[in-house]
Amino acid sequence: MAESRKPSPPIASRHCDDPKIDYKEVAYLQKFLTPQAQILSRKRSGFCTQCQRELKAAIKRARHMGLMAFVQ
Amino acid sequence: MFLLDNQVVRADWRQAKAMVTDLLAKNGAKVLCARRWDERKLAYPIRGRTRGTYLLAYFEITGTSLNGMRRDFELDERVLRYLMLKVDAIPAGEMEKAAEEGADGYVVPPPPTEEATSPERAVFGDLADRPIQENLRRNAPAEAPEGGDGAEAEVPEAAAAEES
Repeated sequence: MAESRKPSPPIASRHCDDPKIDYKEVAYLQKFLTPQAQILSRKRSGFCTQCQRELKAAIKRARHMGLMAFVQ
Repeated sequence: MFLLDNQVVRADWRQAKAMVTDLLAKNGAKVLCARRWDERKLAYPIRGRTRGTYLLAYFEITGTSLNGMRRDFELDERVLRYLMLKVDAIPAGEMEKAAEEGADGYVVPPPPTEEATSPERAVFGDLADRPIQENLRRNAPAEAPEGGDGAEAEVPEAAAAEES
């Protein structure tokens, strides 16, 4: 009988209580990128649905303004 | 937020700022505050520029005049990128920071020195500061003639060791 694969634990704890996600906070947003500058999945970032959406928008805004890289 | 060409900013920051605020005012926007956010190295080159200065402005505008304003910023070559967002309220402290910049005594922060930003320095570090001849002398096998002599000198010793 094949073992069921355990879900990997989130690498970050819940961040919903953090200050508001903002595209100007580049150092904070960098924490939620892979080494190749991809956005972490909700499972790995530990954000709730709404916060993950905000995070996605903020990172994309920062990329557009040249503050963050699209790829590393 | 507006990303401005550093050549314009280095020439005169106040003029660069006025360029943006004038464009806003031309399209009927009421500028509440505008300030220099930061000068940064860009994450990727934009129109051949690797550094840029960001201007953060808060303004009120009607939705009907937005498209005309976007067009103006698209056509202006001094504005590399712009980002316009709807906000509920101006964040605390923004007005104070903008007022500080507007005061007479405000000094625009100087740009980073050439040495700190040159790509040669990023790759070679302190080596980039030395004259080329000196670098060549250091990196090339400068001691080659002496080393050659040493190698020749070793042969008799090795031969002597074999003999013994």
